[in-house]
Amino acid sequence: MTGKRRTLLQIPQGTEAFYLEEAYRHRRIIADLDRLYESWGYLPVYTPIFDFFDNYRPLLSEHALENVYRLIDREGDLLMLRSDITLFLARQMGLALREEDLPVRVYYSDVILRHQDREDISRNEFFQSGVELIGKKGKDADIEILLLLARTLELLDLPGSIHLGTRALFEICSSGLPAAQHAKLGEAIATRDESRMLSLFQERDGVSADYLTRLFKFIGTRQELHEIYLEGKRNSYLSEAGQRELKYLNVLLDAISKVAPETAFRIDLSEVGAQPYYTGIVFQVYLSGQDAAIASGGRYDRLLESFGSPAPSVGFSLLLRKVEPAIGNHERYARAKVEHVTAPTFEEAFREAERLRKSGKIAVL
Amino acid sequence: MTSQPVPLTLALPKGRLLPKVLELFESRGIALSFEDRKLVSYDEGSLFQAFLVKNNDLPTYVNFGIAGLGICGSDVLYESGFRFFKLLTFPFGRTRMCLAGRKGYTPKDYPRHLSVATKFTRFTQDYFHARGIPVQIIRLEGSVELAPVLGLAPLIVDLVETGETLRANNLQIIEKLDDIEVHLIANPSYYKLHYQSINRITEMLKEARE
Repeated sequence: MTGKRRTLLQIPQGTEAFYLEEAYRHRRIIADLDRLYESWGYLPVYTPIFDFFDNYRPLLSEHALENVYRLIDREGDLLMLRSDITLFLARQMGLALREEDLPVRVYYSDVILRHQDREDISRNEFFQSGVELIGKKGKDADIEILLLLARTLELLDLPGSIHLGTRALFEICSSGLPAAQHAKLGEAIATRDESRMLSLFQERDGVSADYLTRLFKFIGTRQELHEIYLEGKRNSYLSEAGQRELKYLNVLLDAISKVAPETAFRIDLSEVGAQPYYTGIVFQVYLSGQDAAIASGGRYDRLLESFGSPAPSVGFSLLLRKVEPAIGNHERYARAKVEHVTAPTFEEAFREAERLRKSGKIAVL
Repeated sequence: MTSQPVPLTLALPKGRLLPKVLELFESRGIALSFEDRKLVSYDEGSLFQAFLVKNNDLPTYVNFGIAGLGICGSDVLYESGFRFFKLLTFPFGRTRMCLAGRKGYTPKDYPRHLSVATKFTRFTQDYFHARGIPVQIIRLEGSVELAPVLGLAPLIVDLVETGETLRANNLQIIEKLDDIEVHLIANPSYYKLHYQSINRITEMLKEARE
């Protein structure tokens, strides 16, 4: 195929276009999400579509670095396109917020641009909708975000399973490892690579390596978590700080079970956060029929500090374009019936169309 | 949330690995058969819905979640570039990824810019780049041993089991680059949703392996 024909027929990897009924549906879904977030006291926010790369370089994982689009502006500065709204938002909020403004609740729905392999187009990582609770630390803020995530899934009729883990536990149990080994351990946990986990934990501490490998493979209920917690405590495999993190997960889920007992949570200690800026709880949402997590989030208490304003924060984002085909009760977002008005004269047709529109119908001349 | 009592979806590789996989499953009471050129099969206990796919396509099916599980060699997994959970390593299908060349060729003879013919382009590039060696890769789909014989490239990277083909073509192993093993893999998202059933099956297969 010639270059001209190829560029005419294809769009670059990592972006998309959609039209008409599909775009209409997309906007209706966003409107529904906006209403939900506003009813919880969140305000909208928009972030730049590109920003200076150097601001973000230390905060990007190796994987993220491989997939960001970079460009050079007229002054020769290296820019990056928005690949993660939380990151861009943190910089904007870090610049704009004063301590007396906190806490601030914000929501967004916007395009993200990441490279996607030609063979990996099903990822559909084109659009993020989400919320951030900025300047509030502690249990209540974490619970608020987890409950708002659960309400978001409920609103969209997405029966996802929320897998809750903790980056803090990972940092405690990997302390002392050199940076390269620390990154390898995170990757081994995220891919459940038992033999690599074991050997990396052994480098740090031979006694508790077997226990920590099992701990970071743990997925289960609160009761099962309690058993593995007791084992760690009894045998001193887990430091007091580590024990506190496990107890904290239990406290969160206990509080949530009292107000939203129907929410499908699983404790999953192999969730250690896809981004290095997380510092506390982390979570991902999995949905049957989807090839990867549809939403993710967590606590990031030091991210805004790196942009000038220390403000502990927590939030989540949903890959909206990815889940749109799976949203339940589909017809509620479909376009209403269109009335095609015909009349002997344009004036009569126009008057009839206006009458229909006032009664809430869609009228086409 | 409890696991759904639905069969787990499993992609199996066509070719030399298949009889060994089916034999192992059968030893655990899971009888899968693909008769009359059918490419989809259920075992009697409905533990699995199995698909028969081309070896190189297997990672794609699992990555897209069409099959939640798959059985595949680490060479093919590496080339795919996708990220999976490796749940189990099987005792069969082990082989070596080797650098080979004409007899008498030694690592000291490495030119400043290596030229290597191979089917395993991602692996070869990553292997040499990790060692700071620039490499020019010539992609071939099969009969890679011909490349040094006919002068296309002095070196090849390929799987070597017995070394018979190399010897027959007056070639030798210069260096073993990696051990290749066969794994039970899972799509990460699929695993998270079905981890209880998958863990049970994995334990069952582990016992058979031991």
